[in-house]
Amino acid sequence: MSSTDSTEIAKTDDSSLASDLDKSLSDSISKKFSNVEIAYVKPDRIRVNVKKEDIIDVVSFIRDELNFDHAESVSGVDYPEDKQIEVVYHLGSYTDTSLDKKIIALATRTSREDDPRPGNDNTILPSLRDVFPSVSFHERECFEMLGVYFDGHPDNRRLLLPEDWADMPPLRKDFRIKGR
Amino acid sequence: MSVIAPKFRLGYLVKGITDNIFWIIVLLTLIGIPVVQIVLIYIDFPVIDGEIWNPFRVFDAMTHPERALPLVKNFMQTDLFKVVAFPGFGFAALIAAAVIFVERKMLAKLQLRVGPFYCGKVEGILQLMGDGLKLISKEIIIPAKADKPLFWAVPVLFAATAGAFVALIPVAPGWVVADIDLGLLAVFAVIGFFPIITILAGWSSNSKFPFIGGIRALYQMVSFEIPLILSLLGIVMLTGTLNLSEIVESQSFFPWIVFMPIGAVVFFICILAELERIPFDLPEAESEIVAGWLTELSGMMYGLVQLGSYLKLYAFAALFVVMFLGGWNGPSIFPMEPMAEVITDGIVIMPDALVVKDIPGLPLFAGEMINGTIWFILKTAAVIFFILLPRGVFPRIRIDLLLKIGWYKLIVLAFVNIFIALALVYGGIIGPGGII
Amino acid sequence: MSNQVYPKDKEILPGLQIEKVDDRIMTLNVGPQHPGSGHMRIIIKVDGDYIVHTDPDPGYVHRGEEKMAEYRNYITNIPHLERPVIHDSCNILYPYCLGVEELLGLEVPERAKYLRVIAAELNRCVYIEYWLAIYGIFLGHSTMFMWPVGDRELLIDLLDKMTGARVTHAYFVPGGVRNDVPPNFEDVCLRQVNYFEKRLKEYADVFYDNPILISRTKDTGVLSREDAIKLGTTGSVLRASGVDFDIRKKEPYDVYEELDFQTSVLKEGDSYARSKIPWLDMFESCKIIRNALKKMPKSGSVRVKLKPKPKGEDTEVYRRVESGRGALGMHIVSRGTPQPYRLKISVPSFRNLIAMPHLLTGEKLGNMPAVYWSLNYWPVEADR
Repeated sequence: MSSTDSTEIAKTDDSSLASDLDKSLSDSISKKFSNVEIAYVKPDRIRVNVKKEDIIDVVSFIRDELNFDHAESVSGVDYPEDKQIEVVYHLGSYTDTSLDKKIIALATRTSREDDPRPGNDNTILPSLRDVFPSVSFHERECFEMLGVYFDGHPDNRRLLLPEDWADMPPLRKDFRIKGR
Repeated sequence: MSVIAPKFRLGYLVKGITDNIFWIIVLLTLIGIPVVQIVLIYIDFPVIDGEIWNPFRVFDAMTHPERALPLVKNFMQTDLFKVVAFPGFGFAALIAAAVIFVERKMLAKLQLRVGPFYCGKVEGILQLMGDGLKLISKEIIIPAKADKPLFWAVPVLFAATAGAFVALIPVAPGWVVADIDLGLLAVFAVIGFFPIITILAGWSSNSKFPFIGGIRALYQMVSFEIPLILSLLGIVMLTGTLNLSEIVESQSFFPWIVFMPIGAVVFFICILAELERIPFDLPEAESEIVAGWLTELSGMMYGLVQLGSYLKLYAFAALFVVMFLGGWNGPSIFPMEPMAEVITDGIVIMPDALVVKDIPGLPLFAGEMINGTIWFILKTAAVIFFILLPRGVFPRIRIDLLLKIGWYKLIVLAFVNIFIALALVYGGIIGPGGII
Repeated sequence: MSNQVYPKDKEILPGLQIEKVDDRIMTLNVGPQHPGSGHMRIIIKVDGDYIVHTDPDPGYVHRGEEKMAEYRNYITNIPHLERPVIHDSCNILYPYCLGVEELLGLEVPERAKYLRVIAAELNRCVYIEYWLAIYGIFLGHSTMFMWPVGDRELLIDLLDKMTGARVTHAYFVPGGVRNDVPPNFEDVCLRQVNYFEKRLKEYADVFYDNPILISRTKDTGVLSREDAIKLGTTGSVLRASGVDFDIRKKEPYDVYEELDFQTSVLKEGDSYARSKIPWLDMFESCKIIRNALKKMPKSGSVRVKLKPKPKGEDTEVYRRVESGRGALGMHIVSRGTPQPYRLKISVPSFRNLIAMPHLLTGEKLGNMPAVYWSLNYWPVEADR
């Protein structure tokens, strides 16, 4: 992996390096769900873009049929020019040894408001906590850092930020560090 | 390693010493002697050897030690001396200080470090003094909603109760502050005060962690007092007395640990629990409840509690020695009485050069007493060593496991010990009218 | 193909939901100023001696590393990214360097790969020694505090020789390592690692075989295999619960494929197993270091030259390594600028934190330090 000549990485060439298992995984997702988009299939890394309405179905399919059993990280990315916030779940597997190296990056987007009021605006995503309990704290972090309210999460509270934090969610692009 | 005194010069040292001598002489002559004169006019004088002393004899005695000896010997027989200095508080506090120092150095050696090192230049022997000064100079902070009278009383009560415990320990034949017939019962009574004090400390500081610590201390001490008392009952049966001095005298041929090893083990474990030492330091379990019932104590209040707990350590070790190891009994290593010719002729220090005359009143202490004290201190030091050692070896135990040990195992073992004692008594082997 | 871990009917894990508790129950704020908390707060509700509710509250040392990374370019990100866990600084830079190399398309020289492995394993031992020391003092075992801290000094000296700094090394850079090792490094390293391994064996006598320690940690805070997987725990917590998952074996990066070592796995899942796994890991680390020293090319370049402000592709990478605490992943989103557009550090401490309310709820208060620190949790890292 480490010695991959990644200067050549472009989305089209990259799939040639990916193994058959990678392709079969991505095929089974795209076959089952018509409206998901397989963004890329790199060696051991698959990225799936889904709409937020379908995410529970897709993630349940990934868990139950493809044997991915835990979430490694939940990272929110802010795209102010698209007026959207993307949340990427990295899913891995402990139980299936053939999937040891594989990571499915499941990305979904929600709308973004210029004047955020976390929890009270349209920046809402369905919570995956009932499917993967391991996302519980990651989603709490995402909520305070980007203002994405996770619908169905029983514990949408602050985690890392101070209790009296009154500014906008700090990982949004329009929150600037002083002096930068 | 940093240099301890970087600008040392012999001249400065000589200057410092002579300066000090000068000021001592000046202050002594200008203040000390007048004060002594004024005091001597007003105090009552004791009657020694049938004659009453007066201020002039006292002044006379100050000029030569030989003439002061009767006065000193008389003072050493008073209760004040016994309470303040030798078998009482001063002696115990000195041993407690030594214990703290030895504990720190020993633990350091066990853990591959040096321990106190700089203070006092030689292996940090003055570290304790520095710590004491630090504690005295610290501010005493009382929690805002504490029960203030109780909170203030706690450290004083703790140190005083530990002092009361020390007072019951016979160190040498006749050298005990309170030689009472029910000595062992008094010991049990004094031990019973400690849980009350700890729960008072936890309650009065009005804080959560001290409260939990106080409750834990209560549980621990109450549940370990029962096996502690039971483990000593066997010896009471065998000796037929509760007086600690008589218990020691009964062990002049063999210590009771020979017949009561189970009782000794039970008693030792109970000591560890009563002293809140690792592995039983739950009331002060640092990582769980900060410092337990000591959390809100600050400055010299904390210092007093520490002093009290080390006095308690000495007293318990001494009680172990008294009950199981034969107290002051031991082979004579100090000459009991000087030989007859020495008494009559004095000691020849150098041939034909200097003959020291026989001084009446010497030796100051009876040889028997010094011999007993040496044996007592040696045995106590050995017991204290074994009390300190687990701190370097064991982690802390959990409270439920601790109570389980106390109620299920130690009490059973204590009863086994009592049955052994009963068997020895009824078998006629030992005890009143026995073979030995 | 059905998943065995997840039963079909939905069930709630204990400790993860907020329970209503009545007022007579005492609330304890363990931390942030508490000798047994670290830089965090655990809000514990106790009923008698039993913990009925646990709410971990990290964030007291949150430093916004992810936000800071968006303002700095790929090279100047190195020194501040190691700050979350300075005792394991090589391992937290490892996924970053791997990811940036993938973005920039760099090929690391062979010698640099071996040097990276050696530095990472030394750093893992340094971290575990520190962690073990604190575990010792949490259980009231002061000797176990002093011994690992003293032995840790051996490896810190080695890393000092290697990198020039005792703790914050900043040794890994995209494209290799910052500098080569001094000429006699191999001999010194071999000698000190051998001595270190000898010392490690003595820990068993004073700590791991201690009956009181066993009575305190055996069968406390048991995390079953299913729960460990469900909660997404990683590293020693996961391997103590019987899941053999070590990134070094499962997704070998750099030269771990060519090195000979085993992963340590225990099945019990209790605090004792969790405390033992890192200790067993250190033996494997010593083995890896000796092995890597033997196989390392004796000379050669250790770094590829970079342009001043290298720009990444317009893509994203997710790379992970096995750190001293578990799998440490970095998700780097690049949009063709010299700075990362978004850098998410998925730290093992944060992933293991979720097991804390699950394990502590229902335990006795006296077990709190034993269970809490056995999670191999580093509060500064979790806060980032």
